[in-house]
Amino acid sequence: MMKVFKWSFIAAIFAYLYLPIAILVINSFNVSKYGYEWKGFTLNWYAKLWENEALAQAFLNSLLIATLAATAATLIGTLMALALYRYRFPLKATSSGLLFIVMMSPDIVLAITFLVIFIALGIQLGFWSLLIAHITFCLPFVVITVYAQLKGFDQYLLEAAQDLGASESRIFRLIIFPLVFPAIVAGWLLSFTLSLDDVIISSFVTGPSFEILPIRVFSMVKVGVSPEVNVLATLLLALSLLLVTFSTLLLRRKH
Amino acid sequence: MKKIPALLAAVLMAATTALHAEEKLVVYNWAEYIPESTLADFTKETGIKVEYSTYENNEVMYSKIKLQKGKGYDIVVPSSYLVSKMRQEGLLQKIDPAKLTNLKNLSPDLLDKPYDPGNEYSVPYLWGSTGIGVNAKEIDPATITSWADLWDEKWQGKLLLTDDVREVFHMALKKNGFSTNTTNPDEIKTAYEDLQKLMLNVLVFNADAPREPFLAGDVNLGMIWSGEVIMAQQENPDIQYIFPKEGAGFWVDSFAIPVGAEHVENAHKFIDYMLRPEVGQKVVEELGYSTPNMASKALLDEDTQNNPVIFPPADIVKASEFQQDVGDAMKVYDGYWEKLKTGK
Repeated sequence: MMKVFKWSFIAAIFAYLYLPIAILVINSFNVSKYGYEWKGFTLNWYAKLWENEALAQAFLNSLLIATLAATAATLIGTLMALALYRYRFPLKATSSGLLFIVMMSPDIVLAITFLVIFIALGIQLGFWSLLIAHITFCLPFVVITVYAQLKGFDQYLLEAAQDLGASESRIFRLIIFPLVFPAIVAGWLLSFTLSLDDVIISSFVTGPSFEILPIRVFSMVKVGVSPEVNVLATLLLALSLLLVTFSTLLLRRKH
Repeated sequence: MKKIPALLAAVLMAATTALHAEEKLVVYNWAEYIPESTLADFTKETGIKVEYSTYENNEVMYSKIKLQKGKGYDIVVPSSYLVSKMRQEGLLQKIDPAKLTNLKNLSPDLLDKPYDPGNEYSVPYLWGSTGIGVNAKEIDPATITSWADLWDEKWQGKLLLTDDVREVFHMALKKNGFSTNTTNPDEIKTAYEDLQKLMLNVLVFNADAPREPFLAGDVNLGMIWSGEVIMAQQENPDIQYIFPKEGAGFWVDSFAIPVGAEHVENAHKFIDYMLRPEVGQKVVEELGYSTPNMASKALLDEDTQNNPVIFPPADIVKASEFQQDVGDAMKVYDGYWEKLKTGK
């Protein structure tokens, strides 16, 4: 009895999580434009997306920004977490506190702040302004993930290594890095998703030369979001499945 | 050493593309609000490259133009109330009618409206209305003729309203015989008190796509935009549109040139291109909104021309009021709106 209950509970949770996604994938093959009923199978929307250069370009731009922002945020964030964990320096508490402020600020506040700064500095809105903004709002998430992992492992490992005469860089390479690697990957993936999702900040800090996907999709509401978006979401889903599989495999090999 | 010529070639190529890139135009608009192929044809004909950037609503566009002091974009497409606000704040520049050879195609019914007298700052692109949507399968459309019909007790908990303060107040103001652009606090208060009664009938406010609850069968009666009806009818022909006799709400989205635009000449060329009969025809066929372009209308097939949702009879348009900026009175509206939605 208990077992039946347990399994049906799990099934319910999975249905709750994945049913909407399943419907979206199914609708990407639906002849019907709004997807209230099944009107037959088609690959037409895939072909349409292929021809929709503006949407495809926005999609590629989004992937580019997400990859670059996640990578840069991970690099800077990891170093920052390390600094916060390993060293003492003036204003240490302040700088970690400031990170929380960035994390907790509503997007709209960050958006306006960024826009005002970019205009004041004369930075043209577009690729670079967008990248800078994305790195900034991803950064705290990386620092916190990596810092939590660092906090969790045995301090004596590092002291033992120092006792045995390992240099600082060697300690990092052989002990710290392998231990926090899963957190670094997690931080990267988190940043990637955050960057890919962002609408509010992006719509303020990007310029006409660099359009990204979420803004374009939101803007489509005016004339009706077309099923090409379902197709795009399906492709994104496939991509993220690939990424997750890849990272799981990678992490498994490390352990 | 071999690398140097290749490098030179690359630099040269970059330089020539930069030269070509000068012939460009930056359009800031809703996504797909201009058909993609139209933009491509424009570039093919004129050599002007179009950078097409998108926003989600009028307010995002307004704040970005305002903060950048009108720089960065050559064409924007504000709705009528925003045209009056932006022109008052000096965010738009005058459009030179001498450069627009196709201006004569536009219907006089839609020109020279109070939101932009003489159309000095804006050229109408597309327009539409907010009226009443009915699912004919569930409700006999003939029984609904006015905004006042929505107040009937039998619709308790059944109506859809658009999530737009001005449009919702429009209903109540019109029902009481006032202007939709009134700034008189007493009139606004009367409308508010009337709307309080209507709230009992409201099931949902919809901000983005009122057609969706109609198509899903969640509502059978409520406010809807004309363009949404056209989209909904492709899926379910039973969704019908009614012009309430007190007057539907009308809006126009217009081309305008921000005051700091860099490619003013190209912007004029673009507006003139969009006013061509065959271009306007294509826009209506793809988007389902109404064109103010009479020459375009003549090219459309008979069914579309006679579709009253897309082209309402002239007397309805003439008698109708277009939304314009109400200035500080907006605070009064917003205060009541807040109360309505929180049920106080």
